[in-house]
Amino acid sequence: MFAALARRLAGMLIVMFIVATMVFFLTRLAPGDPAALMLGEQASLADVAELRKTYGLDQPVIVQYALWLKELLRGNLGQSIFLQRPVIVAIAERAEPTFFLALLSILVATAIGVPAGIASAVWRGRASDQAVSGGAMLAASIPSFWLGLIFIQFFAVRLGWFPVAGYGPPGASFAERLYHLMLPASVLGIVNSALITRFTRASMLDVLNEDYVRTARAKGLSEARVILRHGLGNALVPIITVVGLTAALLVGGAIVTETVFGLPGIGNLVVSAVLRRDYPVIQGALIVIAGIYVLINFSIDVMYTLVDPRVKY
Amino acid sequence: MTKSRHPQFLQLGLSRREVGGLALGAATIAAFIGSKGASAQAANSLNLAMIGEPQTLDPMASTADLPSLIMMHVYESLYTFDQKLNARPMLAVEMPKVSADGLTYDIDIRKGVKLHSGRDLDVEDVIASLKRWIEMTPRGKSVGAALVSIDAKGTHGLTIKLKSPVPALVTHMALPSGYAAIMAKESIATPLVNYIGTGPYRFKERKPDQFVILTRFDGYSARSEAPDGYAGKREAKVAELRFIPVPNANTRVEGAIAGQYHFADQLPVEAFRRVTDSGSAKPILMMPYGFPYLVTNTKQGLFADKKIRQAFQLALNEGEMLGAAFGDEKFYRATPAHFPQSSPFHSMAGEKVYNKADAAGAKKLLAEAKYDGTPVRILNSKQYEFHHAMALVMAENLKAAGFKTQLDVVDWATLVQRRADPALYEVYITHSSFYPEPMLSPPQLGAGAPGWWDSPAKNAAISAFNAESDPVKRGALWAKVQEVVYDEVPYIRVGEFAALCAGSMRLTGYVPMPMPAFWNVSLG
Repeated sequence: MFAALARRLAGMLIVMFIVATMVFFLTRLAPGDPAALMLGEQASLADVAELRKTYGLDQPVIVQYALWLKELLRGNLGQSIFLQRPVIVAIAERAEPTFFLALLSILVATAIGVPAGIASAVWRGRASDQAVSGGAMLAASIPSFWLGLIFIQFFAVRLGWFPVAGYGPPGASFAERLYHLMLPASVLGIVNSALITRFTRASMLDVLNEDYVRTARAKGLSEARVILRHGLGNALVPIITVVGLTAALLVGGAIVTETVFGLPGIGNLVVSAVLRRDYPVIQGALIVIAGIYVLINFSIDVMYTLVDPRVKY
Repeated sequence: MTKSRHPQFLQLGLSRREVGGLALGAATIAAFIGSKGASAQAANSLNLAMIGEPQTLDPMASTADLPSLIMMHVYESLYTFDQKLNARPMLAVEMPKVSADGLTYDIDIRKGVKLHSGRDLDVEDVIASLKRWIEMTPRGKSVGAALVSIDAKGTHGLTIKLKSPVPALVTHMALPSGYAAIMAKESIATPLVNYIGTGPYRFKERKPDQFVILTRFDGYSARSEAPDGYAGKREAKVAELRFIPVPNANTRVEGAIAGQYHFADQLPVEAFRRVTDSGSAKPILMMPYGFPYLVTNTKQGLFADKKIRQAFQLALNEGEMLGAAFGDEKFYRATPAHFPQSSPFHSMAGEKVYNKADAAGAKKLLAEAKYDGTPVRILNSKQYEFHHAMALVMAENLKAAGFKTQLDVVDWATLVQRRADPALYEVYITHSSFYPEPMLSPPQLGAGAPGWWDSPAKNAAISAFNAESDPVKRGALWAKVQEVVYDEVPYIRVGEFAALCAGSMRLTGYVPMPMPAFWNVSLG
């Protein structure tokens, strides 16, 4: 198994190298000039050229790539053009809201999706099943920015229960910061619950027809125990996969939701960096996101072996 | 061992511990909801929702508005503007004494002005700051081209000597954009790390994408004159200013209505009714705030021909373009004048060709120019929706006059890059804040800006204007420049537009200015 995991780790490194290369060249393929944006409307073309030189943007792209890759191998993601700080610091500063938003969102999504999927499977074909399936379809179809604006209107402006936006005032306690995440986490949780609901339903339908479930019922176990222990326990592998992949996407930054709710997270950082063509930040953030994604995928693979002893590498 | 179960939750199979945990979680949420985020608002601070994160906090490192908007509370300049945009002294004792030939400026600096470090401001700080401004900023560089020397005259006076007149020198130093901020000489560095100025607020903290906090400077040395625009007495009535980046315009609107923000900058004009009807926030209009303009490529391609540019100008219906961009007439004004009636630079030169939508006249000019049907490439960005709305109307105006058109819609970063290449467009759309001095904007009046306008008529008119120091004579000379602009069409000033902001009903003392300022503002 350890040899297999080592092979997976080596594969991850190759994936990361390919990602790094693609990120660099795709970023440079997009038109736009960070120096001109940085200096503003009144700057002359000569000023812009001077700033481009300062950041090495006047060099051939292949030279820029070689220099960047060299620094990357040393663990240096570079210096942000606009934020005037190391990219790794800029990402670290924004990691907390993104991480906790992802965590809360996945908790909300799982809390909605798994019970709804189980109920839908257990009462298959009944009104409750149709209601859950319809609800999941609706949740999957709603754009998160629209739901975000509706939630802001209703819960923040009309009822005044939550703040409209932001991550708490200066010096806010951890609890206050989490409180600021509740509305965006609810939005993301609802939107992402759809996929979890449908996977849970499908997976549960498969296992509920198995012989061991019938045997469990014949033994006289309570229905709750049959469904949760023998049904859900065996249906977990695909559910873990979809929860894990959803978590990976959210840790990468819920770009639209972070923008609507004014959250200072990684998604917001990437959007700003793209609009400003802050190349080092775009490259650095995407590499970190890709790294997290790869790691979560790897963790999911390891978890398979824990929840299902039949899975071996 | 059998778990003890709460009777009501028996059917769900939850234990007492699980029920207790749920109850605790619910109570925590209820407590937060009950507080309604009360702690999010300190009693004596202003939450100010800005359009984004400032590029930098060094006001000389960028000509973008946001860094200066924030840092003009920290750094003051020698001169500033009153509400009618006349230059007035700030750190200078009075307006400079200018020699008859316009080549020597004697400036006295106020005594007893405290820097945020506690030390008194002196002429060395001022000279070091002005030198940095001349080295770093586009406006400073334009002054530097005519500069002979800046010398101290005692501890609180200086003399600026020029080799050729720079009539806009005081205005250049007064402008709060890429501005001549006066800072403690020991803090000067690139990049700037310590922000030590003389303003009513001092820098406290910046958390990127979260806030920039300024706090009241208790040692502030205010002027004695009554407040007037940016000029006169400044007083930090609120202890703390929090500049919060909120890039989403709808979120700024809702945040202002919900009371989370005391001020929300640059809202879409569609939000006017919603803010007005909310009862919890009030709309604030600044008119004129800025002007959209269309820059023509005079260097290469179709628009290198002046007659075709004139046809382009004659074909346009600027009123319709502004209507499409801003909706209600309270948000825009179609006028050929580049400056308001109160300005010495007010002139109606160009009214014969402005806002005519004269398709027949344009066709005639096109025939004379032997227009071959090459499409007019209109470079524009949807990132500013009003730019794109104007582009759509413009394209229809041009088609009616016999032009072929091509809308090149790109993001702003791409537009900024492409406009530097004369092979890529005939016209691009941009906008500028309104400035009281002609030579400050648009940059096409200078040399080397995109569009590359350069002609004997331009050089003669601009040289005469720049050589004159007398404000009355400069007014007449500007009218000549405006005439040349309408004749050679290096750019078309579409009209004027307003900025819509929202303020809390409790906000008092706020005076709308092109860049919002929050000294003398309090919460009622």
